[in-house]
Amino acid sequence: MPSLYLLIPIGLGVVFLAIAVFLWATASGQFDELDEQAVRLPDDER
Amino acid sequence: MNESRDWTVYDRPDLRAGFGTTVGSSCEVMLALDGMHCAACASRATKQLSGQASDIHINVAARTARFRFDPRTTRLSALLAALDGAGLDPRILASENSAERDKKARRMAFARIGVATICAMQVMMLAWPTYFVADIDAGTKALLRGAQLVLSIPGVLWAGWPFFANAWRAIRSRRLDMDVPVALALSTAFAASTVRVLLGSGELYFDTATMFVWFLTVGRYLEGRSRARASERLRLLAGRRALTAQRRINGQVETIPIGQLTLGDVAVVAPGDTVPADGTLLERAAELDEALLSGESRPQLRQPGQTLLAGTLNLGSAPLLLKVERLGANTVLAQITQLLDHGETRKPKLQQFADRIAGHFIAAVLALAAIGAALALFRGASGDVAFGIALAVLVASCPCALSLAVPVALAAATSRLARGGVLVANASALQPLATIDHVLFDKTGTLTDNRMQLIQILPLAGGDSATLVRIAAALERGSRHPLASAFADIATPLQAGQLTHVAGSGISGIIAGQRYRLGALDAAPVPVGLPPGFASPADATVIALSDDQQPLALFVIGARLRAEATAVAAELRRRGLRLELLSGDAEDAVHAVAQAVGIDDWRARQTPAAKLARLQALRADGHRLLAVGDGLNDAPLLAAADVSACMPQGAALTQSKADLLLLGDTLSLLPLTLDVARATQARIRENLWWALGYNLLVLPLAMSGTLPPWLAAAGMSASSLLVVGNALRLERLPSPPSLAS
Repeated sequence: MPSLYLLIPIGLGVVFLAIAVFLWATASGQFDELDEQAVRLPDDER
Repeated sequence: MNESRDWTVYDRPDLRAGFGTTVGSSCEVMLALDGMHCAACASRATKQLSGQASDIHINVAARTARFRFDPRTTRLSALLAALDGAGLDPRILASENSAERDKKARRMAFARIGVATICAMQVMMLAWPTYFVADIDAGTKALLRGAQLVLSIPGVLWAGWPFFANAWRAIRSRRLDMDVPVALALSTAFAASTVRVLLGSGELYFDTATMFVWFLTVGRYLEGRSRARASERLRLLAGRRALTAQRRINGQVETIPIGQLTLGDVAVVAPGDTVPADGTLLERAAELDEALLSGESRPQLRQPGQTLLAGTLNLGSAPLLLKVERLGANTVLAQITQLLDHGETRKPKLQQFADRIAGHFIAAVLALAAIGAALALFRGASGDVAFGIALAVLVASCPCALSLAVPVALAAATSRLARGGVLVANASALQPLATIDHVLFDKTGTLTDNRMQLIQILPLAGGDSATLVRIAAALERGSRHPLASAFADIATPLQAGQLTHVAGSGISGIIAGQRYRLGALDAAPVPVGLPPGFASPADATVIALSDDQQPLALFVIGARLRAEATAVAAELRRRGLRLELLSGDAEDAVHAVAQAVGIDDWRARQTPAAKLARLQALRADGHRLLAVGDGLNDAPLLAAADVSACMPQGAALTQSKADLLLLGDTLSLLPLTLDVARATQARIRENLWWALGYNLLVLPLAMSGTLPPWLAAAGMSASSLLVVGNALRLERLPSPPSLAS
């Protein structure tokens, strides 16, 4: 199982990348209005 | 709006403090865009703003827009005019700093959930092989264990930070709250596991700890969201107060900040503008949108002389004139806000009780965890096993569900009622409301409303009463006199010409060549007396219709019964309540209303003191009372009842200390309110029993070491989620079908 010595650290890196992306999305307001999206029509101008 | 409005007043720097938040060199403002109904409108709004404003956030559901602009380069009035021109009907909302704070807190809570989720999943994946794969070489095992530690740092320490902070705060103020065992379990599990990773041997609890944090953060988020929904309406109310007013002084109209308006001023409210203060409507009738104050979405017609409330909108196409009578904190809007604000900070009794139990419970849990571990050691178990038992006890018996049981149910109930138009000013009232068995109604303003109706027609000179009513209706058509509303619903083919009003005596006009007059009895050409044996109800007015020669008919006009009163009374009776009508009016009038509504117990000629005495007598007999009034003349009764519901119609609102505000100016929500209160009690009881039962059941299992810590964490958290889910059922409680609008 020597491949795990490489894969586990890579996996950790991916997880931290995912956390960073998620935190950025939250901070920029992506999850502010979760109820609104259901009543919103597709808006193709943006 | 057909005429363009003057927005330039919003460019004044002194006014900007009232609505804008300064962010660096730019200013952030929040607008209500009432004309924005769909995504297309939203993109129109964005188009109008882009270029001059930055950080534009449009919320279609709430019909709001938030953006920043630079006051040195951009004139806010130009942006507002552009939005107005696009038909979006912009209105500036007063700044609400707490909303901004709430939003930051919500984002943070959401971020913690996300991080807890990601980390818990990864840690569990990494822990899996160490449990179930037998032949792992030492190096890989060390790597797997180290990786769990790395992921637990954000997953436990950062995502679970609020629990540590709360626990620390509680300990410093010498209290025990639920976060103490949580923080203790998390920190010991984390610390012990970290030491074992460094030593290279021993069982790890990172999977338990991360999962525990995840469940707890999700539970708290759901609870917080339910609470936020309940206070949303309050925030909207506060935001709708006017910031500027137009004052007419010496024939000139000037725009001033709201603070400079004084009592007795004549304010001009342009079409689409917010009424700045409570006062009397002058000169012309007006149509108003009172949706925010009453939940009533249909335009309300107000006649000159009637009261207008601050925070309502002028829907007409012409400016209206208002004589200012109550300002600022004395307005009904401010009082409702204040009542709610006050109610939100009061802790219901049941909640205090649950908190107290939880306090004792936690002390017991801490002791039991220590005892469990000590017993295990005493029986010769290893330190590892004893630690596992202590951890399982701490986690399994954490009374999270117990502490959530009450607040989550109350928040859900409040939010359900707010959606229907009932504001719960005092959340503690929901508990006694569930056990009410007797309802006391006031008559005037409660069972009847402000409009007039024709109670009786007495033809004097023969003639058909239907024709006589049509003649009267033709005369009153277009009249602004309050009594005229009694004839408003009567269709008449007749046309009256040469109408002349004589103040204080009546109206006259010519119909089909014949002159008629309608008005006070003593002002008729031939004075009219009441027929012998006829007693007019106390609050009724009698007017006479006559032609040139003789009186033709008498019309008895009185307050109109609310359309929904009878159905509401039936629904309340179906719920096993006894209804009683207490009124200061004469027997006839009270009896008539009681009969129409279907209330058997009624008492007439009741002074406020007599009403109070009746209430106390009922209570001495063991009844629990709900008093329903209009908050104007029955404040003592409302204040003395177990629970009071009131139609918000006057400035005496705060004195009435009403527990429930029926904002729709309708009784039709009373049965629903009662249903919600009863269901809330049921949910709270189920929740408390479940939480207690669960904790007592798992405690022996955890103490005997049968329950591993990870299972304890899963069970405890599932129990919390169950409690939250059970409470959220309240939000979907339907209105009784007979009253559904």
